[in-house]
Amino acid sequence: MKTGLSLDPRSKLVMVLVISSLAVWTRDLIILAFLFVLSAAACLLVGSSMAGVFKKWKYFLWLFLAMVIIQSLFSAEGEPLLAVDRYVLVSDAGLFMGGHTIIRFLIIMTSALVMLSSHSRAIIQGLVQWKVPYELAFMVSVAIRFLPLLQEEIMDMMTAIQLRGVNLKRIPLLRRLKTYAYLLMPMIASVLIKSRELSMAMELRAFRAYPTRTSYRTLTFAAPDYYVMAASGLVLAGTAWFIIFP
Amino acid sequence: MITLEQVSFAYGLKGPMVLTDLDLRLRQGEVTALVGPNGCGKTTLGKLLVGILKPVRGRVQVKGMDTRVTELSSLGKMIGYLFQEPERQLFAPTVREELSFVADLMGKKEDGSCERVKHLLERFQLQDFAEDFPFQLSRGEKQRLAIAAVMVNEPEYFIFDEPTTGLDELRRKDLSEILKRLVASGTGMLIISHDKALVQRHAQRLIRLEGGKIIEDRAVA
Repeated sequence: MKTGLSLDPRSKLVMVLVISSLAVWTRDLIILAFLFVLSAAACLLVGSSMAGVFKKWKYFLWLFLAMVIIQSLFSAEGEPLLAVDRYVLVSDAGLFMGGHTIIRFLIIMTSALVMLSSHSRAIIQGLVQWKVPYELAFMVSVAIRFLPLLQEEIMDMMTAIQLRGVNLKRIPLLRRLKTYAYLLMPMIASVLIKSRELSMAMELRAFRAYPTRTSYRTLTFAAPDYYVMAASGLVLAGTAWFIIFP
Repeated sequence: MITLEQVSFAYGLKGPMVLTDLDLRLRQGEVTALVGPNGCGKTTLGKLLVGILKPVRGRVQVKGMDTRVTELSSLGKMIGYLFQEPERQLFAPTVREELSFVADLMGKKEDGSCERVKHLLERFQLQDFAEDFPFQLSRGEKQRLAIAAVMVNEPEYFIFDEPTTGLDELRRKDLSEILKRLVASGTGMLIISHDKALVQRHAQRLIRLEGGKIIEDRAVA
């Protein structure tokens, strides 16, 4: 059973937009950490579980290390902390940038969890009621709908490759990359075929036959939505103040 | 060849049990038909047998090897699996490369593999489409290609998931001939199908699945 506050998808969108925009704008690590705490709180508020995000902590660690090394190697800023000959592998600026990247990444993932707590149809309806052209909103809905199908197809192809006797973990890297390259063509072909069939189905059902559309369901704001949007506005104003006047 | 011991399976951690406490032994050289209503778990059982899915309880063994700890690539060399939708297992840019995929990848371009590919193209009447993109083939042609691709490794056992779906009468007869030749060569198989005619023509044993349990397991006269 889903727990959490039932919010209009538009108010969730406002929350996510505020948090992610501020995350892109600021370079302050403390403000970024605060924004991550806010996005995590937003996740809990709407009843989304962050367990899936934290299960992948190993990938975040690798990403962090990769960013630290890349920044340290190619940036002239910062004091070297670990160097080999004249190559700086870890610098304080590198650590700083690595931390930035990880926190921004976490903010993106938690923001996505906030949006995924709404049904895609509700998100589309919200966009339409905000005067986004229906065709654009429908494109978003199609993308959301087909991504899991594409993922399933890719997994099936990977399974099929292994069932031919190819052990992906034991073949050399170049051959593995060549194998993965095999997946691109059927994936693209599958997407094109699905797109063509979907467009035919839509035309047969008179999509865009008339200039206006009516909606069977409409969204209305409730008190919690206004509180959330007001709070988002305050967060935007307050954080912007701290960014501009540190 | 393949044994199931008290196998149960559910999708996801909190999903309902799709299959419950199944015990089954599939023998080499035997043709078994698996039938049952839609949604009873036939495809799921097929995927458990080849190791694509792992049981949540019990174990599946293929020639004594537990599928939970055996690599899918090792299992795939012993069992040929035909997906319900053949295009899900086609990924090469041409029909010929689809058959020579493993040999090309492993760098084994000796005469034997080229001859084998040529033989399979002729056997499955695909020689005219050898340089075509597999996705442009008809359903029946894709089906034949998928079977041919699976036969490259000369597996000892086959699992066919709804092999006659979308095939016309002529192509069903072609498929039937292919199955007859496989049976004659001593290859065992499990045919998951709603096609009564196919089952009656080839099956030596019938297993009926319903509600995730085996309710019938008998020899076919």
